[in-house]
Amino acid sequence: MKIYETSVKRPITTSLIFVAIIVLGLFSLSKLPIDQMPEIEMNQAYVIVSYPGASAEDVENNVTKIMESALSTVSDLKELTSTSKENTAIIGCEFNWGIDIDGAVNDMRDKIEMVKQALPDGCSNPMILKISTDMMPIAILSATSKESTAALYKILDDAVANPLNRINGVGSVSISGAPQREIVVNCDPNKLEAYNLTVEQIGSAVATENVNTPGGSIDVGSETYSLRIEGEIKESELLNNIVVANYNGKPIFLRDIAYVSDTIQEKAQESFVNGVKGATIVIQKQTGANSVEVMEKIRAELPQIKKNLPKDIHLEEVMNTTDNIENSINSLVETFVLACLFVVIVVLFFLGEWRATIIIMVTIPVALISAFIYLLITGNTINIISMSALSIALGMVVDDAIVVLENVTTHIERGSKAKEAAIYGTNEVAVAVIATTLTLLAVFFPFTMMGGMAGIMFKQLGWMICIIMIVSTASALTLTPMMCSLMLKREKDKKHNKTFRKIYSPIKRGLDKLDVLYERLLTWAVRHKLITFLIACGVFVVTLVMAGRLGSEFIPASDNGQITGNIELPAGANVDRAKEIATRLEKAIDKNIPEKKTFTYTVGTPSDDDNNSFAMMNASGSNYISFRLRLKDLEERDRDMFTVAEQLRKEIGSYTEVDKFSVSAGGGGGMTSGSTVDVEIFGYNFEVTEKIADSVKAAMERLEGFKDVRIDREDYKPQFQIEFDREKLALNGLNVATASSFVRNRMNGMTASIFREDGEEYKIKIRNDRAHRQSIEDIENILIYNTQGKAIRLSEVAEVVERQAPPSIKRQDRERVVKVTATLYGTTLDVAVAGIQGEIDKMDIPVEIGTKIGGSFEDQQESFGDMGLLLVLILLLVYIVMAAQFESLRYPFIIMFSVPFAFVGLILSLFITGETLNLMSLIGGVMLVGIVVKNGIVLVDYINLNRERGMGISQAVISGGKSRLRPVLMTSATTILGMVPMAMGIGEGSELWQPMGIAIVGGLTVSTLVTLVIIPTVYGWFASREVKSYRKKHSLHLSRRTVKE
Amino acid sequence: MKAAFIAYNQAHVQDIEDILHQLSIRGYTRWQDIQGRGTKTGEPHLGSHAWPAKNMATLCIVDDNIAPILKKRIQALDNSAPEQGLRIFFWEAIDV
Repeated sequence: MKIYETSVKRPITTSLIFVAIIVLGLFSLSKLPIDQMPEIEMNQAYVIVSYPGASAEDVENNVTKIMESALSTVSDLKELTSTSKENTAIIGCEFNWGIDIDGAVNDMRDKIEMVKQALPDGCSNPMILKISTDMMPIAILSATSKESTAALYKILDDAVANPLNRINGVGSVSISGAPQREIVVNCDPNKLEAYNLTVEQIGSAVATENVNTPGGSIDVGSETYSLRIEGEIKESELLNNIVVANYNGKPIFLRDIAYVSDTIQEKAQESFVNGVKGATIVIQKQTGANSVEVMEKIRAELPQIKKNLPKDIHLEEVMNTTDNIENSINSLVETFVLACLFVVIVVLFFLGEWRATIIIMVTIPVALISAFIYLLITGNTINIISMSALSIALGMVVDDAIVVLENVTTHIERGSKAKEAAIYGTNEVAVAVIATTLTLLAVFFPFTMMGGMAGIMFKQLGWMICIIMIVSTASALTLTPMMCSLMLKREKDKKHNKTFRKIYSPIKRGLDKLDVLYERLLTWAVRHKLITFLIACGVFVVTLVMAGRLGSEFIPASDNGQITGNIELPAGANVDRAKEIATRLEKAIDKNIPEKKTFTYTVGTPSDDDNNSFAMMNASGSNYISFRLRLKDLEERDRDMFTVAEQLRKEIGSYTEVDKFSVSAGGGGGMTSGSTVDVEIFGYNFEVTEKIADSVKAAMERLEGFKDVRIDREDYKPQFQIEFDREKLALNGLNVATASSFVRNRMNGMTASIFREDGEEYKIKIRNDRAHRQSIEDIENILIYNTQGKAIRLSEVAEVVERQAPPSIKRQDRERVVKVTATLYGTTLDVAVAGIQGEIDKMDIPVEIGTKIGGSFEDQQESFGDMGLLLVLILLLVYIVMAAQFESLRYPFIIMFSVPFAFVGLILSLFITGETLNLMSLIGGVMLVGIVVKNGIVLVDYINLNRERGMGISQAVISGGKSRLRPVLMTSATTILGMVPMAMGIGEGSELWQPMGIAIVGGLTVSTLVTLVIIPTVYGWFASREVKSYRKKHSLHLSRRTVKE
Repeated sequence: MKAAFIAYNQAHVQDIEDILHQLSIRGYTRWQDIQGRGTKTGEPHLGSHAWPAKNMATLCIVDDNIAPILKKRIQALDNSAPEQGLRIFFWEAIDV
């Protein structure tokens, strides 16, 4: 017994199996977490080695090169970069996408272990840092305050960070921009000198005075008491009363030579939120926690936290990643609902019957919901990829059911009982239904095998669509016939009410008219095969020309309302100047950018204590300003973030004090922040590469569309260098290490001890007071004591000179490199790259210098290459499936004629809508292959049938075409209209999917219309040649035989 | 006694069974999945790609007085859906 026969005869079993699938699917749905993208294993890891005291070049030669040669043998390594700067080497390894990063890091560790011996003495142990998505903050809060500024850190730590940290899923909460409390002993060097004292002595005095010691225990009678010496200072003021030394028999108190200030850190990063000074609280999630869920919990907690804060402190959300996730998912849900509606309308329009429409619609939830089970089992999330997979599949899942229903209806009209009609009707089309599904699988299965970044995005999509297609076919072969057997009736047995007739009869007449028109067109085309073929070729050639004028990019940028940027003042500028510029920018933003929601900026260097792993990677300094502008929601503003970013660029560009700046729309969030072009210049000689970099930069600035052009090599920084005379030092019994520690302790300060209060610890720092830390003379006047206790002034053994600090040395793939980077605005990637390549070709570049264009361009080339390969693979697979179905090599070839016209439609639609050729539209194009050949299969199959039934070629073609017109139009229309909402671009994040929607809608529309005419025509042409050659062969045989006889 | 040979589109199987049952014809022989074509009109039932429909045939021996009723019922069924294809032929059964 065949499966459809079983299902028709056992309706309860059949329907309950599908109910079970739906229930399981809904259960999975309720368990599925929501996220932006499928989980992406980051492919980067860094090795950090510090080599104190070495210059950038020393670090490069002695550390970086050794590490690089070791790491370059790690498997799956894509790119090796390194930065060598004073004291540190950072080596970055970028791996191919989709590899197991933990394995790669282990591999790195092994290689490092091997060369560790070769590193110079004094190098720290190499530290491996794996970059993961969890390091990205899920939310940033800002706290502003007026009166409580000084205590802000403690208040936030107690009242905000701690409660947030307790939330399940929150990884770490760090506060920056709020200076921490610090107790400083400010010494007067003159007084110290007078008493013959040093900062170090004071430090040890403080340290020895400020201790608690357990003194053992004592038995008093029958009791045991423990003995304790509580020497720790209870209040910071009491430090003043410490006796640091004796001078001529009199005690010298600390207050005699220094003053104690219980204050906040002198130098720290300062953050401003909407012009008010405040702190930022960065929240990271735990590995594997779900962002949206964690964010919900945080939001639930926030009102309580706010209540506990002092009244002048305001908490505000500056950034969160989840709004964007929720909005994108919501807009995709909206898209999906609209697509469902369109599909219902199409089915109703063509069938004109409620019962049939319901039978077909049931397939949609059954097939789509089953995909959630897959998602849960494989540990995936609901994300924009899985949601759009649903939207893409929507139009296709009904196709199989439509084919089955159509044939069952024919049987019923011929007089079969519904039950028999369902069984035998399904039996007749089952093979064709499975074959068309196989062609779709031939398209989507290769998606699951893709590599690279596209692979991460489309693996899930491929699996989901494959599963949905298989379930929809299974349902079309079981559930649909079962429902048909129960619900369908013969036309003459039906009772239609009047309003229905009134509405539907004109539609019916229109459809009938369309049949007639199509028949006439097809008759003409079949009789004028050559002209039809030439017209088609002409159209194809014209669009090919058009394709040349189509711009290209990598991944369309989407608007998430976040603009980040940084401004660099000339090296050496201090924080106050940076602050002034930032305030000016803020005023301009308030005036000119009404879309602003919050504007935060940070100035200054992070203090040593900030154990923020990101601080290590990012450039910072007193001359840096980094800012973040958050725009209102998409519906509340007219301008997109790219326009606003452009306006910001103009504004900042007009500040003459600014040395360099960059503005990046999309928050620099990797994939969706628009295209970048990097020109990489390889070469050993600094001066030569710098000159070339300068001219490349100048060229880029001349060309249209390049924004934020920057050279990534840092400027020389001015600094004071103390040059000790080793001979003189030796004469005085000193060495560089001792001498420099004297300088450091006086200028930077030495941490002598720790002050405890309420369970918190604060550093006690000892250094020269501010008045004695302001000029070169202050440095020169530092007294250095040797082991004999003799004091020597620094100026006697050293010279303080102003120098330019050499910049850090960047290398890529074991060669020195300078990158000129730019973001694109108002131009497309291919135009920009061609422009800059032309300029570079014109330049006079020495042979030993290499240039390469990287950035998005590199990714694009790679992905487009992958796409090309995928397309070939898919065409081949589809051909094989079709050849197997028809047991012929000729028919699949005829059907393949619809593929070029899919691309005609794709190019036309992209051209009209002004979209570019990018990864998304190309994916759309690849999908089209499978979708358009479906129409061809239906047509050719039926024409073949007609010929087998004894019709002549022309008649078979025309009547076949006519009878398949409606099914072809209907299945195409469901797919097209299912995609229309995606092509319209509803809501946030839709920019990403829009090109794909447009590509499929355009390509399928054109190819369907062309297929309906060109395939029958080409078929006719091939078939008549076949017949002719057959006759020729035959007649030859006959004539030979006649000759012999 | 008459031998009735009913050749029909397999979609009719349930109806034929019902008729035999109603006329209390207990014994019969049935062939499944067979091919056939009408003499004058109708589509062939060949189970092929071009003509996917298939036939069934039932042979039963009936009393002389039942035969005309059976013929009438079968023809009525045929008339209700002439496109399906259904024929009944009688022979004289000599020995049972």
